[in-house]
Amino acid sequence: MNAIDPRIHQALDGELAPATLSGELRQAVERLVTAAALLATPIPAASLESRVMVLIRRPAPSRARRLLGWFVAPHAVTFRVRPVWSLAFAAVVALLTLFPMRHEGPDIGEHEGIAQFVGRFPGAQSVHAVGSFNDWRPGSIALEDVDQDGVWRATVVLPAGAYEYMFVVDGERWVPDRLAERLVADEFGRENSIVIVRPARR
Amino acid sequence: MDVTRAPSDAEVVARVLSGDGEAFALVVRRYEAGLLRFAARMLGGRDAAADAVAESFVRAYRHLASCRDPARLRTWLYRIVANRCKSHLARRPIADVSLDEAPPVADPSDTAASLERAEQLALVRRALVRLSPEKREAFLLKHVEGLSYEEMAAVTGERIPTLKMRVHRAREALLQVLEEHE
Repeated sequence: MNAIDPRIHQALDGELAPATLSGELRQAVERLVTAAALLATPIPAASLESRVMVLIRRPAPSRARRLLGWFVAPHAVTFRVRPVWSLAFAAVVALLTLFPMRHEGPDIGEHEGIAQFVGRFPGAQSVHAVGSFNDWRPGSIALEDVDQDGVWRATVVLPAGAYEYMFVVDGERWVPDRLAERLVADEFGRENSIVIVRPARR
Repeated sequence: MDVTRAPSDAEVVARVLSGDGEAFALVVRRYEAGLLRFAARMLGGRDAAADAVAESFVRAYRHLASCRDPARLRTWLYRIVANRCKSHLARRPIADVSLDEAPPVADPSDTAASLERAEQLALVRRALVRLSPEKREAFLLKHVEGLSYEEMAAVTGERIPTLKMRVHRAREALLQVLEEHE
């Protein structure tokens, strides 16, 4: 499409008298004016009055009926997309399909759950959780005091079930977890803590 | 009150809203020709235009209370019809629009001048239908229906500079086609 002389627009917008234009420009203005006049020709058609008045004399359809009509009527859905965004979207979908994002944290099986161990042991050098989940062997579950505030924590994945356990502080002091859900006396006269691990996936 | 004077749009609207539904026939008679022409040029066919305008009138009647400025009823009606036409065009691809629902038929009584005029009209209609609905709408409202840019803004909901640009682009496209067929 070629841009036309701005004076043609000015003449058509009534900002310039067509008589002041050169012959070629005036001819262009006349062509467009003639085209508009042709389009302005009345459309021969029967009057809509009776048709419209019959329709408006009918009671308006209820809201429910209009809603039902909307549901049963076909609707066209038009998407306007830029190819570059479509390709980018397709690329992201392909990447996510080929390389699924790995979530942070431990993988949890169908019959596993998460156990959290927390104990307050100011000044301790090491804290381990030992119990029936690791055959009471110190070392496998080490708690950490990341903030150096005396609060030691560990999060582990265990098979679902109930376990007895204790904390081993500095490799020699065995203490129960006072925050445990339950405490139970063992055959050595000590109090073991009970943790119930529930399956993470139901 | 001067009983011989035709009631204004605002008066007719007030009568309809006060319960005189039959007064709406005045609105139909007053504006159907222009709206039908506008819709026919937008849609490229007389039958589709008649459906669109009739539906628009019914819609206007049912929502007449929401016409905020009854004195500008004409602009409001054009807005309803324009939206109806654009919805219709969105559902129906432009390639399906028939320009030849009522082709000019040569009649022995036709003069050469009338046939030439029919040919010219067909050429302009073909050029018009090649424009996007937005540009077609802008050209028709400005040059065929004679609306001001302010009225066009009320009809289309677009800003005046946008409408001016559309009218300019439509003129350029039409002129190009018309000059090619000189």
